[in-house]
Amino acid sequence: MTRLPRSLNRPLTRRAFAKAGLGAASLALLARGAEAQSALGPSTMPLPSHWVETPFFQKMVDAGKLPPIAERVPKQPLVADLKARGREIGKQGGEVITLAARARDLRYFSAIAYNRLVGYDEKLVLRPDILESVDNQDDRVITLHLRRGHRWSDGHPFTAEDFRYWWEDAALNKALFPAGPPIFMMIDGQLPTFTVIDEVTVRYEWPRSNPRFLPTLALPRDPMIYRPAHYMKQFHTKYSDGEALAQAAARAKLKSWAALHNRMDDMFENSNPDIPTLGPWKIMNASPATRFVFERNPYYHRVDEAGQQLPYTDKVIVDIASAGLFPAKANAGEVDFLARGLSMPDIPVLKEGEKAQGYRTLLWPIARGSQVALYPNLTVADPVWRKLNRDVRFRRALSLGIDRHTINNAIFFGLGQEGNNTVREGSAMFEPDFRTRYGIYDPEAANALLDEIGLTERRGDGTRLLSDGRPVEIVVEVDGEGGMTVDTLQLLVEFWREIGVGLFIKPQDINVLRNRAYAGLPVMVAGFGIDNAIPTAEMLPSELAPIFQDNFAWPKWGQYIETKGKNGEACDVKEAKRLLELYESWLSTADEGEQAKIWKEMLSNHADQQWSIGTVADALQPIILREGLKNFPTKAVYSWDPTSLVGIYRVDEMYWDKAERRVAQAL
Amino acid sequence: MIGFLAKRFATMVGTLLLISALTFFIIKLPPGDFLSNQIAELRSQGDAGAAARADFLIKQYGLDRPVWEQYLVWIGVMPGSNGYSGLLQGDWGWSFEYDKPVNQVVGDALWLTLLLNLATVAFVHIVAIPIAIYSARRQYSIGDYAFTLLGYIGLAMPSFLLALIMLYYMNRWFGISIGGLYDSRYANEPWTVDKVKSLLQHLIVPTLVIGLSGTAAMIRRMRANLLDELSKQYYVTAKAKGLPPTKALLKYPFRMALNPFVSDIGNLLPHLVSGSVLVSLVMSLPTVGPILLAALKSQDQFLAGFILMFVAVLTVVGMLISDLLLAWLDPRIRLGQR
Repeated sequence: MTRLPRSLNRPLTRRAFAKAGLGAASLALLARGAEAQSALGPSTMPLPSHWVETPFFQKMVDAGKLPPIAERVPKQPLVADLKARGREIGKQGGEVITLAARARDLRYFSAIAYNRLVGYDEKLVLRPDILESVDNQDDRVITLHLRRGHRWSDGHPFTAEDFRYWWEDAALNKALFPAGPPIFMMIDGQLPTFTVIDEVTVRYEWPRSNPRFLPTLALPRDPMIYRPAHYMKQFHTKYSDGEALAQAAARAKLKSWAALHNRMDDMFENSNPDIPTLGPWKIMNASPATRFVFERNPYYHRVDEAGQQLPYTDKVIVDIASAGLFPAKANAGEVDFLARGLSMPDIPVLKEGEKAQGYRTLLWPIARGSQVALYPNLTVADPVWRKLNRDVRFRRALSLGIDRHTINNAIFFGLGQEGNNTVREGSAMFEPDFRTRYGIYDPEAANALLDEIGLTERRGDGTRLLSDGRPVEIVVEVDGEGGMTVDTLQLLVEFWREIGVGLFIKPQDINVLRNRAYAGLPVMVAGFGIDNAIPTAEMLPSELAPIFQDNFAWPKWGQYIETKGKNGEACDVKEAKRLLELYESWLSTADEGEQAKIWKEMLSNHADQQWSIGTVADALQPIILREGLKNFPTKAVYSWDPTSLVGIYRVDEMYWDKAERRVAQAL
Repeated sequence: MIGFLAKRFATMVGTLLLISALTFFIIKLPPGDFLSNQIAELRSQGDAGAAARADFLIKQYGLDRPVWEQYLVWIGVMPGSNGYSGLLQGDWGWSFEYDKPVNQVVGDALWLTLLLNLATVAFVHIVAIPIAIYSARRQYSIGDYAFTLLGYIGLAMPSFLLALIMLYYMNRWFGISIGGLYDSRYANEPWTVDKVKSLLQHLIVPTLVIGLSGTAAMIRRMRANLLDELSKQYYVTAKAKGLPPTKALLKYPFRMALNPFVSDIGNLLPHLVSGSVLVSLVMSLPTVGPILLAALKSQDQFLAGFILMFVAVLTVVGMLISDLLLAWLDPRIRLGQR
């Protein structure tokens, strides 16, 4: 391996950043301030002067089968401020074709067609969306104001009853929620007091602040604290005949009314065409099918300034194809829009078909803490390894022994961000030191640290020996599906050889890997870094605290918290305990400045302690966009949390600029 | 004959019982089960609510009970959470992945699978038999060598690779959409002439790809068998007595050469359902193969178990059929006599 001069090993944060062409878009995230608190009030956008009937529904309206648009939208619809975001008023009509690997993946459509009670806008400010406004007193008394005249996709009014039904008849019903209501609804194990104030106002009141509540409502996985009560009641024993329900369940080969209720109650999964929705498109057919059709929702609550109802496109068509064919199908021009399911290695194939098929491949950076991160298992069963993994000098040495610049050039086309597993530049929580502390290449320092620990004995080939005489050979376990992860580890083998540490890669099925991790078997796991790398202070810092068992750095500590002390082990490392304390104090404050301070201390703790060892961040996510589809950003940040894949960029505002492009797949 | 059949049925039942136990226990070997893995996946996406729902299902389907109990409930000799309801009672279980009864999941894919594999079998026979006869009659001719070379290429070429290459070029040259068994435009349409056309177009690549190695193998075996027969005395005599060459060839040697293929029918039947998994996977065909693979990977135990059992039943039935056919075809074979 050729050595690069030292000067080149400095992380190129600024340059890489500029190369990725991400100036203003993401730096705008920094410009957050007091507006976050006040953003929950009602929108100040004026209503359109007149309404324009949607062509798709014209026939039905003329025939009297559907009320005209003025009666379909709420009294106070959400008027999309297109101009302020550099977008144009679009034209209604047309179809958009996209792909999914299997019917179960249709739930990601609910993330992409992002509509939430309160949701993030492109600047990650939390704003009312389905709701008209929210009154928030210290995150303790939260009052939700619905839009008067808002209706479900079947025309039935959407009211406080829908919230009451979910809370009283579902969440608090032992048969439907055996484990009790979702955890974010509680603080210190205390349930909120729920009050229906009038038909468009509900209130949740906790004994103390619950700062988790509002951000959770905006997550890509919508917790849905409301249900179409008028539809769900027919499956609930409280409102329907138990005998008939039991028979209906048996007919569906289900074991009880509760199972039937749960089966039908899947607003997020898109597997039941009968359940009404509030989203922009509504699924029309059920699996099994190779093509799923989503049709526009006539009662959708968003409109544009010209008085047209959103979404602009009439239909979204999701074809089912095996994930391996996605690049080939895109290359053959069979999709109009596609993001999830494509990855960096597909870029050449995607680029190759652009000209012939008339689409563009957008390349967005993926906002992850690190595309490949290593997790030394602090709760591994093997006592010798446990002691070593818990020695911060060992973790720092491993990090200093990684030549991230070479990884970047070899695997990330030189466009990645080298350094620790931490938040992205552009996030309000970012400090350069978080990325570089122990996150640079310095094999001499790494060797010195390892000598200091006492790993001075070596085998003939230079591999260091553990205290019990075994060689320091780390088996890094990894999800076999992650091609880039395995490629990165191949390079790591070379780097760590320089510091006398052996590395073996063990790819396996992710489920097997998780179960092994829960049992304390792997010494080290490689996987993705932090999921939400563009946090704001009001987002939960839960990924940074040892509270989840699926964080491979501390599965048993997480188990202990998750099972309330029944399984796993209590966290017994001082610096990790500090993370727990910080997380608790974040949960008990509603003050944003305080929360930001806590975020930063946690991130600093992570950089210092190297709980996870980052390599390179900002891998590119290819996104296919057919020529003629407008109102979609050419450059933005991609992630699961918080951007909800591409959800916060509002795909309901996409439109076809020319009529002849609208029809799906003219062959 | 009756006695022979009774004996055969008894062994068939025993075999199936053994297979059912083996498949079920092997499916259960990896740690965890579908629902607990599901829970882990959902939780890693911060979806605690769905995890609670999955917990609920674990109890319903008795996944928290010992494996042998689950097995007995599955085949229907032990009461489950709603009485005796298993394979013997015609209840094939529940697919967690699809959230549907198994019969609905498999039913839809089954006929497309049959169609594809029947097309393949037909293709193999229609192409291989004439070529084999030609090769045997003109041994060591230029044509024989050419076909031999082609056959070896067909055997050596990894089918999934060929599938990918062909998909790409069929799309580039003829505009056939990639993957699937018909153009996705027709997915939810009733069967029209256009849809059938699209189906036939899409059948070309998989049939060629799946059939190629089979064709190559069949040519070689058929040619070898025929060459054996052609040097036998009865054939030489028949030709010497002035029987026209084609008739002389087809009347006896050809029939004898078919013997090994008849005994293969036993393997052909299950192949009609579970064959061509790899190619189906690569080409994204909505057949049983990919469903089985996904079910095994995600430990969707009742779905995987049912498909494997179905294939096992087809295998033992196929074996019986091929035995009976052989007896009828070749007078030298006698049943049950020593």
